[in-house]
Amino acid sequence: MAYRTWQCENCGFLYEEEFGLPLEGISPGTRWEDIPDDFVCPTCGFAKSQFSMIEI
Amino acid sequence: MIPTDIAQTIIDPKAYAAQTPVDEAFKFLRREMPLDVAAPEGFDPFWVVTRHRDILEVERQSELFHNGDRSTVLANRTADQKVRAMMGGSPHLVRSLVQMDNPDHGYYRRLTQPYFMPQNIRKLEPRIREIAKSFVDRMAAKGGTCDFARDVAFLYPLHVIMEILGVPEADEPLMLKLTQELFGAGDSDMNREGKIATNEDEGLAAIMATVADFVAYFNKMTEDRRAHPRDDVASVIANGTVNGQPLGHFEAMSYYIIVASAGHDTTSNTTAGALWSLAENLGEFAKLKQNINGLLPSFIEESIRWVTPVKHFMRTATDDAEVAGRKIAKGDWLFLSYPSGNRDEEVFDDPFAFKVDRMPNKQIAFGYGAHVCLGQHLGRLEMRILWEELLPRLEGLELAGEPRRTEAAFVCGPKSLPIRFRMH
Ligand code: HEM
Ligand SMILES: [Zn+2]
Repeated sequence: MAYRTWQCENCGFLYEEEFGLPLEGISPGTRWEDIPDDFVCPTCGFAKSQFSMIEI
Repeated sequence: MIPTDIAQTIIDPKAYAAQTPVDEAFKFLRREMPLDVAAPEGFDPFWVVTRHRDILEVERQSELFHNGDRSTVLANRTADQKVRAMMGGSPHLVRSLVQMDNPDHGYYRRLTQPYFMPQNIRKLEPRIREIAKSFVDRMAAKGGTCDFARDVAFLYPLHVIMEILGVPEADEPLMLKLTQELFGAGDSDMNREGKIATNEDEGLAAIMATVADFVAYFNKMTEDRRAHPRDDVASVIANGTVNGQPLGHFEAMSYYIIVASAGHDTTSNTTAGALWSLAENLGEFAKLKQNINGLLPSFIEESIRWVTPVKHFMRTATDDAEVAGRKIAKGDWLFLSYPSGNRDEEVFDDPFAFKVDRMPNKQIAFGYGAHVCLGQHLGRLEMRILWEELLPRLEGLELAGEPRRTEAAFVCGPKSLPIRFRMH
C-alpha cells in the first residue's frame, strides 16, 4: 500500500507516513493506524481524531 | 509574588526595545518563580507563565483558559475601564479570531483556514518570488548600504499580505502606517501623533482613531467584493457565512484588521532580526552560505525562535485550575511569555546562542492550541523565498550603525537596521 499523508485540521501540520516523526519517537513508515490514540499534533496539540487524510 | 522591579521590567516597552533587561528578568523567573503573580502598579494582578511546557499546557486547554473573557493583551486598569465604558462592557476594541472562544472561534477560523493551509499557500509561490526578487534587486541597486528593516523587511511581507487580502499597492503605505500605529502605540517613531500619549485618554483616542480608519477603508472594500467577488481573502470575508448567516459587521471588520495587521509586522520583524543576527555572527553566516538549501529550514525556525516578535498574549481561567502545582482561581488572568518559552533552558541547548543549524527546535513563537498562528505557513514561505533570492547574492555583511527595536511589549522587533553589504 502506498504511503499516505494526514493533516491537522487546526494548523495544517502534515504527518507523512513515509517519513514518520523520528523526533517524537515515531519511526519512518509508521502507518496512521499504528500511531497511539493519545498522539497530539506537535504544532498545536489537537487530537489524532482531528487529522484527515489528504492527497499531496 | 514577583518582585516589583522584575514585574515592571517584563511589561516595559523600553525594556523590550533594549531586550537584555527582559532576557535577564525572565531568566530569573524561570529559575526562581516560573509561574507566579505579578502586580505592577496600576494593573490587576496576573500570573506570569514563563516555561515552555507551562505555556503549552495552558494553550492546549482552550476551554479552561479563554481568550475573550478579559483583554487578550496586557492593559492597565484605567485603559481597561475606558475600553469597557466605550464598548458596552466588552474589554475588546475588535472581535477577531484572537478575541473569540468556541463555538464562534471554530466557525470563524474555518472560514479562512483552507486559504492558509500549506497546499493552497504553495500556489502563491511564483508570485511571491517575483515580489521577493524585486525587493532583492532594489536592495542591490542601493549600492552597498541600506536600512534593511525599512527598505526591505517591512515592505516585502506587507506587499505579499496586501495582495492576498486584495488591497491595491497604492494603499500599502496607509496599511503600514495604521498597523504601526496599532502595534507601536508606545513608540514615538511609530504611533499616530508621532509622540507618546501623556495620558490614557490620549492613548486610547489615538487607537480608536486608527481602528476607525481601518473600518472606513474595509467598509468600502466589503461593498466592492460583494458586488464583484475576486480570488482574494477580502472576498472570502465579504461573502462568507457562519452558520448560514453572513458575518456580523463588527466581526467582518475585525477579520480584515487582524489579517491586515498580524499578517506582516511579525514576519518583517523576524526577517530583519535574522539578518541582524547573521551580521553579528559571521561564523553562522559563513556556515549558512556554504549550504543554503540544506540549512534554510533550520535557519528559518531559529530566526523565528530568536526574534519571537509576539511578546505575549493573555488568557483567563474559566474555572479553578492547577498548572505546575500552582492553584489558579476562576477569573485569574495569565500572561504567556513566548520569548521566555523560547529561551527555556530545559528545552533549548545554549538558548542564548543563535545557531543556523539548531536541531531540534520546538520554538513556540506561533503559539499553540486552537489559536495557533493561522499565517505560520505563509510566514515561513515568505521567508524561505526571500532568503533563496537574497542569500546566494549576498557576500559581505556588517552593521553600519546601531540597530534599534520598536518600544513595545506586545509586538516588537527591529525598526532600524543599518547595514553595509556586497552583492552580485
Ligand atoms: C513570523 C511570523 C508570525 C509570528 C511569529 C506570528 C505569531 C502569532 C502568535 C503568537 C499568535 C497567537 C497564537 C496563540 O494564541 O497561541 C498568532 C495568531 C494569529 N496570526 Fe500570526 N504570526 C506570524 C505571521 C502571521 C501571518 C503572516 C499571518 C497572516 C494571515 C498571521 C495571522 C494570524 C492570525 C489571523 C492569528 C489569530 C489566530 C487565532 O486566534 O485563531 N500571522 N500569530
Ligand atoms: Zn495542529
